[in-house]
Amino acid sequence: MSEAPVVETVELTKIYGEFTALDHLSIRLEKGQILGFIGPNGAGKTTTIKILVGLIRPTSGKASIGGVDCTSDARKIKHLVGYMPDTFGSYDNMRVREYLDFFGAAFKIPRKQRQDRISASLAITGAAHMADLYVESLSHGMKQRVAIARTLLHDPPVLILDEPANGLDPAARVEMREILLNLAQRGKTLIVTSHILPELARICNMVAIMTHGKLRAFGTLDQIMQNVRHQRMIEIQLLSEEDVSQAAEILRENLGQAANVTQAPSEMMVRFNTTGNEQSLAVALQRLVSAQVRVSQFREMQQDLEDAFLSVTQQDKAQATVGEAQA
Amino acid sequence: MNNPIVRRELIGALRKPNVAALEVAWLAVLAAVIVLRWPAGGRVNLAGTQAQQVLSLLSWTILVGMMLVAPAFPAASVVAEKRSGTLALLLNSPLSPASIYLGKLIGALGLPILLMLLTIPGMTACFAMGGVSLVHQVLPLYLIFIMVAMESAAVGLYVSIRVNDVDSGIRLTYAVLFVLDLLLLIPYRLVADTQNPTFLLMGRWLASFSPLPAMLHVLGANSVHAGNSVNGGSSVIFRFVICALVLSGVLGLLSIQRLGQWLFDRPRASGKITDDRSTKVQAYRRIMYLWFFDPQRRSGLIGPFSNPVMVKEFRTSRFGRSHWMMRLVGICLIVSLGLMLAAAYGSINFQPQTLGELMVMFQVTLIVLITPSLSAGLISSELQNQSWQLLRVTPLSPASIVLGKLLSVCRTLLLLLFATLPGYAVMLVIDKGQASRVVTVLITLGLIALFCLMVSSAVSSWFRKTAQATALSYGLLLGLFGGTLVFWAGRGTLFSLSLVAAILKYNPLAAALATIHAPGFNDYNFVLANWWFMLAVMGIAAIVLVFRTWRLTRPD
Repeated sequence: MSEAPVVETVELTKIYGEFTALDHLSIRLEKGQILGFIGPNGAGKTTTIKILVGLIRPTSGKASIGGVDCTSDARKIKHLVGYMPDTFGSYDNMRVREYLDFFGAAFKIPRKQRQDRISASLAITGAAHMADLYVESLSHGMKQRVAIARTLLHDPPVLILDEPANGLDPAARVEMREILLNLAQRGKTLIVTSHILPELARICNMVAIMTHGKLRAFGTLDQIMQNVRHQRMIEIQLLSEEDVSQAAEILRENLGQAANVTQAPSEMMVRFNTTGNEQSLAVALQRLVSAQVRVSQFREMQQDLEDAFLSVTQQDKAQATVGEAQA
Repeated sequence: MNNPIVRRELIGALRKPNVAALEVAWLAVLAAVIVLRWPAGGRVNLAGTQAQQVLSLLSWTILVGMMLVAPAFPAASVVAEKRSGTLALLLNSPLSPASIYLGKLIGALGLPILLMLLTIPGMTACFAMGGVSLVHQVLPLYLIFIMVAMESAAVGLYVSIRVNDVDSGIRLTYAVLFVLDLLLLIPYRLVADTQNPTFLLMGRWLASFSPLPAMLHVLGANSVHAGNSVNGGSSVIFRFVICALVLSGVLGLLSIQRLGQWLFDRPRASGKITDDRSTKVQAYRRIMYLWFFDPQRRSGLIGPFSNPVMVKEFRTSRFGRSHWMMRLVGICLIVSLGLMLAAAYGSINFQPQTLGELMVMFQVTLIVLITPSLSAGLISSELQNQSWQLLRVTPLSPASIVLGKLLSVCRTLLLLLFATLPGYAVMLVIDKGQASRVVTVLITLGLIALFCLMVSSAVSSWFRKTAQATALSYGLLLGLFGGTLVFWAGRGTLFSLSLVAAILKYNPLAAALATIHAPGFNDYNFVLANWWFMLAVMGIAAIVLVFRTWRLTRPD
């Protein structure tokens, strides 16, 4: 039996006039999971996030965090969620410690505990050395750390981070990844949006792909990859350049034009796509070997989250084109 | 027009919808002014009295319009580019700092000149009525308007280059112009009776930075303050033109000098804390800053009974930090004690009323100048910096947010008011019979402070940009406190006494001056009416502020 969901949306919809920003979104997250929320600009990610933190009222549907309704009980939600928007929202003339002190006081954290919370939050995000710096003097990466520290102050079970890795250099991104993994290990449930998909793939155990306000794919990373994997790309490494054309011919005969067999003689490589199962691949390999083609490697190319995302968005575009043509 | 900045600035300004709205409003105001004073009987006085009345009302309207509109765009012009990063691109282009400055200056003058052009039909109508001199009145008036626009643009651009955010630029520009246009008239007022030629000359030249003496001269009134002439024939206009040109030129040169690449050559604040520095430095700073007022002291946590928003406002406001507050209070104390000493030693032959007038003017000026700068950004700056959504996700209630923000400004204003109180002690020493008046004045001053605070805060809640909120707040308050005094300055000559009394009833400064029996205000008694007016406006402003804040904290 699965655990009670920490974050749940049911048929969540938001309509602005004639524009549907969010279309019947249903997702479910359990404790300690990290959801990678991906989609192109205008896909509805930020709208979903703002509904979850009680900044936007949905047109229909329900959203809850820890069983608390995000719309009707927005006050309780504020204690359950740590929200980091895509903009920092800084106050000039304030030191980092004062900035965190203000939010700590706003969340009514008793004074005696507040100092410890501030220090702990800064330590978790690797920002302890920034405590006395002025907020406006921080670099972008430093501000992102302080922003995450702010979300941790009141120790919420759910953290919602909008583009935390945006604008960070590679080293800072690695550090950010470690911070987020550390938070998940501490039992926090995280919702993270990002355009840097390889980074997300490394930290997320759940993925939601959205386009045009609709949820296109949702599940664990493996499930997503399985679902979007309509064609597998196989790569065959040969020992000799002369074998390339022969191998390509055999594959075309066996797999047909749909396999889209391509040759790369200089690399001594042949590639093809297939929807076939392991059995059919074994047959193709056997044919090549029987025809004296010297195969050194026969491997499936790994697809990543980026491929999955592109695959979903391309399907979406194709559907839109068909829709327009029919109209 | 070869300068690309001129084209961009002009086109950029004229494309703005609020500029189109401003032009329409401007035309409506001009039309209303002319209709208001146009002879209704179908007969025109051959002596030209009616034409003069229309001319003066129209001219004062144009002057006030110029004073309010001309500084707004230049004050934001450079700093906005600095913030958006386009100034770095401009400085990196082959354009010289001088051409950038000239482009900005000419661009900034575009709108005021357009507004001036729109006044030509009205002026022509006055001229056509007869009794108005083209050479001695119409042309000098336009010269004054052009100089006001140029002076405002030069001040605005200079300030804009120096500051780091748009609303500071707007605030500081209007504050400087307030000093130039109004406060510099005070020294002449003080020395007018001394007959000391050196003091008189200095007072005259200082007053010449303001366009008001020149305006009053052209329009036939003799003085800024009744009975005290600042004029010397046409030399009043000449002096004003010279002052405006010199000031604009000097500020222009300083601006060009500053508009170099090194404008951006600033290190990030190192965030030094006194506690982490050497014992010697710690001891020095603690003595110099009296321990508590050291800006580099590690501040304590927000207390359990403190409103976090109030503390946050103190900390984020540049002048909210205790060391700045103490500096400001110190200056107020020095000015106030200076007046007291001057009166005690009889170096200036002040009557209690004159001292009271000076005190009231000083305090009201402080309140009107400082309050909008503190409160016009209370809500709008949060919206502009996008920190409002962070406040929305905290459990803070709208009431707590509003209260914290208002309290933060109240403390500053209270400190300032208390710091200026010693002057009243002198009044009471000289004449104990003034006690009840002083109390009434103090109540009026308290109400004025709250009035300015509530109006600026309500305005702040309607804007997403602090610069706009600040400009409108200053516009409203300066229009009420300073603009209506223009009618008083022309009482009996340009405006009827009944009209002046009816208008002054709404001016809290006039109410305070009337209470203290300041010279020129002895005949008025409208303090109660003015209190009711202020209370009514404060009530409306409070409702607006609370409603808007509540609305802004609700889910969209």
